[in-house]
Amino acid sequence: MAKQKTFTVGWLYPDLMNIYGDRGNILTLLKRAEWRDYDARMLELGRGATKGMEDVDVFFFGGGQDREQALVYEDLLEHKQPPLERAVRSGAVVLAVCGGYQLLGHYYQTAEGERFPGIGLIDVRTEAGKKRFIGDVIVDIDTEMPDLVPRTLVGFENHSGRTYLGPEAAPMGRVRLGFGNNGSDGTEGCLQDGVVGTYLHGSLLPKNPHLADRLIRSALRRRGDDELSPLDDSAELSAHERILERAQRRLPARAPQERELRSSAAAEPREPS
Amino acid sequence: MMRRTAAVLAGKATGMLSRLSRRGGGTTLPGDVARAIDPDVLRKLARDLKFGSVVITGTNGKTTTARLISWLLEGAGHRVVSNRAGANLIFGATAAALESAGADGRLRADWGVFEIDEASLPKAVDEIQPKAVIVLNLFRDQLDRYGELESIAKRIESALERLPAGSRALLNADDPRVAEIGLDLPAPPLWLGIEDTSVAERDLPHAADARTCPRCGASLIFDAVYVGHDGVYRCPNKDFARPAADITATNIQLDGFDNIAMTVGMRRAYSADRATETQAVKPDQRLELPLGGLYNCYNALAAYAAGVTIGLEPQYIAERLKNFRAAFGRQERMEFRGRHLNLVLSKNPAGFNETLRTAVDLAKGNSFLIALNDRKADGTDVSWIWDVDFERLKGKATVLVPAGSRAHDLAVRFKYAGIDAAPPEPDPGRALDALVKATPEGETAHLLTTYTAMLDLRAELVRRGWAKPYWET
Repeated sequence: MAKQKTFTVGWLYPDLMNIYGDRGNILTLLKRAEWRDYDARMLELGRGATKGMEDVDVFFFGGGQDREQALVYEDLLEHKQPPLERAVRSGAVVLAVCGGYQLLGHYYQTAEGERFPGIGLIDVRTEAGKKRFIGDVIVDIDTEMPDLVPRTLVGFENHSGRTYLGPEAAPMGRVRLGFGNNGSDGTEGCLQDGVVGTYLHGSLLPKNPHLADRLIRSALRRRGDDELSPLDDSAELSAHERILERAQRRLPARAPQERELRSSAAAEPREPS
Repeated sequence: MMRRTAAVLAGKATGMLSRLSRRGGGTTLPGDVARAIDPDVLRKLARDLKFGSVVITGTNGKTTTARLISWLLEGAGHRVVSNRAGANLIFGATAAALESAGADGRLRADWGVFEIDEASLPKAVDEIQPKAVIVLNLFRDQLDRYGELESIAKRIESALERLPAGSRALLNADDPRVAEIGLDLPAPPLWLGIEDTSVAERDLPHAADARTCPRCGASLIFDAVYVGHDGVYRCPNKDFARPAADITATNIQLDGFDNIAMTVGMRRAYSADRATETQAVKPDQRLELPLGGLYNCYNALAAYAAGVTIGLEPQYIAERLKNFRAAFGRQERMEFRGRHLNLVLSKNPAGFNETLRTAVDLAKGNSFLIALNDRKADGTDVSWIWDVDFERLKGKATVLVPAGSRAHDLAVRFKYAGIDAAPPEPDPGRALDALVKATPEGETAHLLTTYTAMLDLRAELVRRGWAKPYWET
């Protein structure tokens, strides 16, 4: 029998950076590889760990609560940065969501103007904003990813950081609903080399199987192994479709100001009467 | 005085109209109206209480614990004011006080028992001036509404720092984030905890929050895990550890959703009046009550501790708890076409993991309806379903109906957990039909649902004549 091919997902700080159902992204990557007969493995990369990073196909870096994010910060700079850079240069893929997305950029600037350098893997910078962007998001995918079908991404955002893309990074798409990178230029996410950064959770990959497969395929390409057999995605795509339908019903061309109001109202805890 | 009377009357009228118009039980809106007329109305009404109030907060278990304490007080002949429909913001507490007030704007009752949302606690403590505040636990919950755990914990801490003299904080020692709150309080809290490793799980669940040392940031070592991240923990650098519990639960026995039994020990007890503080005042007391699941041991322990703190006798508490009835939708049974339906509110990862554990491991359940809504009261962000260990259902659930407005998200979740499920069914009536059809007669089906999904299912059940409206229970 031929030796089964392996597929490895490296989860950066699974115990601390897992705030928005990030396990959904991990499970989706693993299962979709498993269903293609790969021996899918998950490598936990907690504080201090670097062993095995060179074997990782897709890294996942999620969001954390502020307290946890502060704890991973030093470790990221000290232990993870060099091996992560080497991996990306050799063709590995990184999916970074929310806090992870911000930490991979040049810096995060607080409201007081203090700058925390990121690891500069992607050409983005983030500044603190006053209002949190909270709610469902629908993204129309840009031409950078011409092969993705359907042409939308759906997810949920919850962030106060405003992320701006430099010339090296391209947006994943434009927000049809929600705020995206910064709430002003209409972009969402970033693509640069093998790195995908985004504010979408929800979780992102389970309802966007086309993006999940794109990540898996790109990572396998460096092994000359980029044919993925098709799967039955009807459950995933019907969940995707329902978000689109609902947005269509609820918000026919909602103005940005109204969306601001919606977001601030959501931040106010209120019980049903 | 005029103003307060006007506020009370306007609030009461609103409540009556709300019930007449069948818009709901009038559990919140009257509070809104009265507070608009007199913002101090709750403060004034709370002062009328003959003995004072107990306030309960924490992510999970508030409603059940409040209901247990009311049950104890009422059985001892006290008149109790309580926001019992789960309306746990300041408006709900105000509405409850209004309902019991007379036409002269006066509240004639002995005790107030209020469950208060974590974020509303500072205001509630300030206005109600409670005799005791219970903090049950702190888990991630509806991040889109409440924000991060840390800011919630800070709000609770600021509320407890301002407790009036003679008032007690009763804290869960097993929850690292709650323990951290108690470390620096001006008055020492009363610590509660489970001490029975026979009911412990081996590992932390996937989405455990409070797992680092508040002092040095190291990952905590858990010697036992009871519920979520609640257990016996210590910092590897000895900077922090579970506080020694003053009131403990040992010799725990769990019998499905039907019963829990435990022995409560008191190493130290405080009365609400600190002048009469005494050491080791009570002998061990065996408790038995008709609630299911280890998570309810925490609720019973907290109710017992509160009862003793406000002067009830342990033996009386034990007798009274035997006949307890669960709160609306927290754990409720109904019969339908020869099937037993067991409704259990499950609204966040920690809560869901516990109800799943109880339904699958203890009650040996195999027929399930799981309902997820994403209205504001449920949380509009459904990412958290990926933090729930639905994998526990694998190989156990022979019937699994994904329901609620986000049924399709649940269907994907189950697919990736490797569990066969029925097609997603967002319509509550059709979801119930699918469940009943697939569940053999005489069998039990467990309905685990989020808050408004519970309301929807219950409304459907009421329509079919299966249960009373929630404001009548």
